[in-house]
Amino acid sequence: MTNHFGDVVGNSKMMMVVGANPAVANPVGGMKHILQAKDRNNATLVVVDPVYTRTAAKADMFIRIRPGTDIAFFYGVLHQIFKNGWEDKEMIRTRSYGIEEIRKEALNWTPEETANVTGCKPEEVVQFAKMYATTKPATLFWSLGITQHSVGSANTRILPILQLVLGNIGKVGAGCNIIRGHDNVQGATDMGCLADTLPGYYGLGDGTWKYYCKGWGVNYDDFIKRFAVSTKEKRAKTGEPVKNTVFNEYFYHDPANPEDRNWRNEKGYSLAKWWQGVLKEENTFSSGNLRAVWVQGTGITSMAHTTKIAEAVDKVDLMVIAEPFLNEIGILTDRPDGIYVLPVSTQFESEGHIHATNRAAQWRTQVIKPIYESKQDHEVMFMFAKKFGFYDEYVKGMMMDVVDGELKQVKNEFKWPEDATNEVFRNLQSIGISGRTAERIKKHQQNWHNFDPDTQMGRGPVEGEYFGLPWPCWDKEHPGTPILYDVSKPYAKGGSGFRNRFGLEHNGVSQLADESISLPGSKIKGGHPEITKANIEQVLGITLTEREKAIMGDHWSRDHSGTILKRCREAGVCPYGNARARAIVWEFIDQIPKHREPLHSPRWDLVQKYPAIDDQERNFRVSTRFISEQTEKDWSKEFPTIVSSLRLVNLSGAGMIERTSKYLAAITPEMFAHVNPQLAAKYGIKDRDMMWIHAPQGTKIKVKCYYSESVTPDRICLPYHFAGIMQGVDISDRYPEGAKPYTIGESSNTITNYGFDPVTQIAEYNAGLCRLEKA
Amino acid sequence: MARLKFFVDNDRCIACYGCQVACSSAHETPIGINRRRVLILNEGVPGKEVSTTIACQHCTDAPCAQVCPVQCFYVREDGVVLHDKKTCIGCGYCLYACPFGAPQFPRDGAFGIKGEMDKCTLCAGGPEETNSEAERHLYGQNRIAEGKIPMCAAICCTNALLVGDATEVSEVYRRRVTHRNAVAKMPL
Repeated sequence: MTNHFGDVVGNSKMMMVVGANPAVANPVGGMKHILQAKDRNNATLVVVDPVYTRTAAKADMFIRIRPGTDIAFFYGVLHQIFKNGWEDKEMIRTRSYGIEEIRKEALNWTPEETANVTGCKPEEVVQFAKMYATTKPATLFWSLGITQHSVGSANTRILPILQLVLGNIGKVGAGCNIIRGHDNVQGATDMGCLADTLPGYYGLGDGTWKYYCKGWGVNYDDFIKRFAVSTKEKRAKTGEPVKNTVFNEYFYHDPANPEDRNWRNEKGYSLAKWWQGVLKEENTFSSGNLRAVWVQGTGITSMAHTTKIAEAVDKVDLMVIAEPFLNEIGILTDRPDGIYVLPVSTQFESEGHIHATNRAAQWRTQVIKPIYESKQDHEVMFMFAKKFGFYDEYVKGMMMDVVDGELKQVKNEFKWPEDATNEVFRNLQSIGISGRTAERIKKHQQNWHNFDPDTQMGRGPVEGEYFGLPWPCWDKEHPGTPILYDVSKPYAKGGSGFRNRFGLEHNGVSQLADESISLPGSKIKGGHPEITKANIEQVLGITLTEREKAIMGDHWSRDHSGTILKRCREAGVCPYGNARARAIVWEFIDQIPKHREPLHSPRWDLVQKYPAIDDQERNFRVSTRFISEQTEKDWSKEFPTIVSSLRLVNLSGAGMIERTSKYLAAITPEMFAHVNPQLAAKYGIKDRDMMWIHAPQGTKIKVKCYYSESVTPDRICLPYHFAGIMQGVDISDRYPEGAKPYTIGESSNTITNYGFDPVTQIAEYNAGLCRLEKA
Repeated sequence: MARLKFFVDNDRCIACYGCQVACSSAHETPIGINRRRVLILNEGVPGKEVSTTIACQHCTDAPCAQVCPVQCFYVREDGVVLHDKKTCIGCGYCLYACPFGAPQFPRDGAFGIKGEMDKCTLCAGGPEETNSEAERHLYGQNRIAEGKIPMCAAICCTNALLVGDATEVSEVYRRRVTHRNAVAKMPL
């Protein structure tokens, strides 16, 4: 989120929700703010969605589009904006790059073509564009309806581009507000619970590993021996472990071999396709076979392709499930051994800080001690670290601190969770949270009543600070940044330009902001590059002392000494630069977002016009089909109906927690699909009849048909929160005794169509095809 | 003396079921006994869907009390309509009299034999000793006696469900609706 929910309530005049359903997605509290903005500012709410959702029921305008056509719709809106001159010309001139390319592409998207592709009415595009472009400030919300597509990453670019074109960025009541689906998803993302980055979005390069080794207080050269490279060689003296490891084989990197790579620098398998590491149906590229799966804190059955997950689980050597409730991956297989279930406590039984969707931190106090034999997450990890023989290295980072600009071990014992929190704040410099401490966050918890809900600004003991110190919170005096990219505030008050992350120029055009864009009080007029050790003297016009040179890190995001931040504060300059937001991403296959039909499209004619990208040879260690899958045949002949997934308000994720609560389970006692009565009638399926839903990859599920007008006759939608029945077969006898939830059912993820995003590899949950059959 | 009232702002209710589940869990009612229930009218019909939540409205001139043959109902000074389960004979007259479907009857067994009626107490317990185990067992929590507001309204995440002194509740809602049209809006 660039802004925050309080800001929406206080200032937004126009709100668009696209690919999100905050009225049912947990926490539903997000919807309160939208309704408050309607009540207090008379803000208009527009919902753009393939399905008439509970959020749509509260909207002033609902526009129904076909799943997977968001980019087409927003180009249709941009077409109107450019045609009528509604764009923010100053923002485009001074703070953006590449909008001309967008303008060119938008020319193609007349209301008629937009309507043809998206299925909405031409006049809806015109009407919406006028409303949205001429009401300021306007904000937009999105979540998984945008991201969960084979064009998901392009979807997430077209919306910020829309806001940039309209100047709805860096201002109150505006911004791109992405709603997270569960508690602390922002925290999990910031902590890099992903296969392609270390915590704080640092990537996997050796510079990152060196930086982290320093932060953890371990020797880099010894540390990297824990990672496999492709070429394996026994040590000279067999039987002796490699220094500082328990391994008696040493894998080294052979630079002469092009197929050999340092696996520490390579992305791992993604959550969406990890099973290919076991099944190897598509080409995989890895240091070895995937043999063990450890599931801790994710509803892995809420991932697509559950039949593939089941096959993979059958084949791995070992699976560990560490969860408060039995994760249903445990019952996907009927194997008699090799599965270990570890009881881990809930958030109420542990303590620490979490990140809210607006980048703010909140301290959470332990309510009760862990019950039964369960242990807190970190205790489980500590016990395994001890067993694996790296406990001392594992906890050392918590006992370190910066003393006189140098990072060193300052004590021999750590206090959980405060020291872990401070280690996180010390090392995730890339998101600018060096200014936080566990103490500051706890103080905010104790002063909830002293923060203004609309501005998030504190008073009394927390005066001058924004609630939860939303990142970036650069140093101990910084108040946090409630609204990103806001150039109306000085650096010390939470102001910043766009980040200079993609070089100083592209195709001869400067990537730095125009000279008219400076933070108030900044020593530098206009745009400036990000601050590094190499350029700091020149950019800030200062001379470093020898001491500063000695302790300074090479880059603002890798400087434990805090020298760069100190010098930036003196100059009133944001360390990450003051640049232009780019609409062109030259590293991507689609440099600007382009409409591409879903891999399984109901419109064969449009597949010819808007084909998918070429097949991808490797991403996250596995190849992925795009164009070959899309054009294998006209899938819509055999599978004429669009299938899209849906959330239910009483269940979340894979639903295991909620389906073991009788009151929540009773609200939706069975798995179902919403089907338009007209469509159902075609197949002779009555309301509440059982039906089969067949998917192109040969899987099928048997669910109840619920007649609903929320979907049009060309599509169905169904929830993904159920498990316990797989392709018509009840597998609930596999639950350990006493662990069977009150309700079981098929999961929509069993019939999720093939398709993955080329960047993030998220699965195509929302724009597949299927065929109904009366059961 | 003030009268305690529930009011639901249907423009705010998103049918999250929070009130219903919170009520059932707080009072540990059996499945099927819904002291408070969420209703969705015209579900999924574009432009017509309305959500709301309903429980005993604690009527000023409660029809249930008027038709009860054993006079098990009593009205507190603050307007909360309560009943004595030990007097109730489970005849179900109140169910037919109530325009809101508030009275709930346990229906166990093949013939659906009705037990004593159960309904929303506005979290004010019953005639047993306040906050006693007997009261909790028969009527659930007595949050009013503890100075708390009813569970359902306490949990309502959009502040759709309002409860309290009738004049204060209407004041909150009045402020809300007057704001609603205070700013000129672009015609759709």
